Amino acid sequence: MRLLALLSLVFLLLTAPAAADIEISAPGQQTIPLASTKLLAQGMVPAQIVNDFDQTLNDDLLLSGLFSLVEPNSFLSDARRIGLNSSKVDFGQWRLLGAEGVIKGVCRLEKGKLVVEVRLFDVTHRRLLTGRRYVGAQTDVRRMAHRFADQILKSLTGEEGPFNSRIAYISNTSGHKELYLIDVDGRNGVRLTNHRSIVLNPDFSPTSKELLFTSYRAGNPDLYRKAIYSGQEARVSARPGLNIAGRFRPDGREIALTLSKEGNSDLHLLGTDGSHHRQVTKHWSIDVDPSWSPAGDKLAFVSDRQGNPQIFIFDIFTKQVKRLPTAGKYNATPAWSPKGDRIAFSRLEKGRFDIFTVAVDGSDERRLTFGPGNNEHPRWSPDGRFIVYSSDQSGAKAIYIMRADGSGVTRISPAGGDCNHPAWSGRW
Amino acid sequence: MKSFSKKALLQLALLLTATLLLASGCAKKPAATTTAIPETTVSEDMGQDMIQTEGLDEMDLSETAIDESASEYGVTTAAVSALQNISFEFDQYTLSAEAQDLLVSNAAYMQANPELKIRIEGYCDERGSDEYNLALGQRRALAAKSFMVSLGTDPQLLSVISYGEELPLDPTSSEEAYALNRRAEFKAER
Repeated sequence: MRLLALLSLVFLLLTAPAAADIEISAPGQQTIPLASTKLLAQGMVPAQIVNDFDQTLNDDLLLSGLFSLVEPNSFLSDARRIGLNSSKVDFGQWRLLGAEGVIKGVCRLEKGKLVVEVRLFDVTHRRLLTGRRYVGAQTDVRRMAHRFADQILKSLTGEEGPFNSRIAYISNTSGHKELYLIDVDGRNGVRLTNHRSIVLNPDFSPTSKELLFTSYRAGNPDLYRKAIYSGQEARVSARPGLNIAGRFRPDGREIALTLSKEGNSDLHLLGTDGSHHRQVTKHWSIDVDPSWSPAGDKLAFVSDRQGNPQIFIFDIFTKQVKRLPTAGKYNATPAWSPKGDRIAFSRLEKGRFDIFTVAVDGSDERRLTFGPGNNEHPRWSPDGRFIVYSSDQSGAKAIYIMRADGSGVTRISPAGGDCNHPAWSGRW
Repeated sequence: MKSFSKKALLQLALLLTATLLLASGCAKKPAATTTAIPETTVSEDMGQDMIQTEGLDEMDLSETAIDESASEYGVTTAAVSALQNISFEFDQYTLSAEAQDLLVSNAAYMQANPELKIRIEGYCDERGSDEYNLALGQRRALAAKSFMVSLGTDPQLLSVISYGEELPLDPTSSEEAYALNRRAEFKAER
């Protein structure tokens, strides 16, 4: 009963308007106790596979802030017994440990492929909540765990988790600023560019299979797109002056960006082939950093048209611009939440950036970071539960994620060099 | 020619060091080793989606340490470049009286060297948003260009580019560094 009550509470919190006391994505105070047992090997399976799955899944569950994990040392005999249907699970044992859910699974190798079957049971109601079978290469074990973590969140909250996605960012660890890609937990990092120049400001296409970025490779800040799998790369816009901060419209058919071809920096819309569709803003001020509303009908952007850099919202259809009424003298890098209800941004105050979110009407401002150092470039996870950002709180700039209420701060980029400009992909 | 202040010399030294660093960095041939990551497939029989990953290449990079004292020595002997950097206030692109004087001398130098084409590079300090600063750097470079054009310099000889806060002369976080980094540089185009 209690699980059901908690689940409905979590669900309510996730769907309730922002006025709730407790943050949308981090109920925190009331976590659901889960028992996460290790996969049981059927036949010979390398122990590393079992451990990788266990670690990845548990890290994701804890990061979500929705769960507490029952101490594995207290597990009783049922944890070592293969029982993949609810009639074979000894729920009494799990209830004794205070677990309200139990994760059980098996793994085996079939013709070199790794097969993982894993299920989440509701201890109170002695029933299956969700189950998945994954078949893939042995090296895909962490990805399987991320997907099951997403599945657990979906079955308990109605909203899939963000763990099976990637984060792109810029790092100068090679000596040049290049584009990198990592998993949400910071693993499986790869470098995507070798421009040996300055690469900046990536953005994922809605399919997550392509990235936009700006590079000085040809001697000017030009906009490029790159297909992640094939590695194919094309220059999209190389107009004189700035071709920066390109952002795919959520339908994937247009790109908003800043061009300065006429001398002044304004927002424009391009086709994905680089053709010019139209000029969005025409103002003597600097207009940069567009961020699409999820419906693709509005653009939040930064402009100094009232003196200092502030956030404005442009309506694509009515062509009206209005200020996002926020405090502070210097607000930048807006990022529209995937649900469309809030905008994250960074504010420069006393020489330091910190991250805030605010409702789209400017009400209900919440400060998420409190130093030390600079915390900038917020971008939302595809489910809106997390924010990725860059911070120099421990010296060099690095990529961090936190829950949307500012809790659960976790560094994800590897040591070495300065890392910034993160972008969170959609679900992979 | 008027005498250089210590600060201007320091700026110049740093600038040339940076240029040398860049030049030596570019000259290196990439030592490429390509490792293909094998293609993998995950199927999920209760879902519908597939994962495919393939072929992300990593290149080896070489890095060269440059002896600072050596290049500084080179600077002091090679010193007198007639094109001078100008500096700006925080979040500003207006030209101070000092900057205007320097631009007058830069314009005169160009008149004396009519074959010269110049690239004006706008830079910012590290404070502020990167994208905004790219636009600000563009404005600084454009402000310098229009002033020189108003002095009679042929606009065809002047191109502009912004590096925002990307290439600071002094990467530390101090008021002195910030002041040094908020600048427009003038470079002869080959």
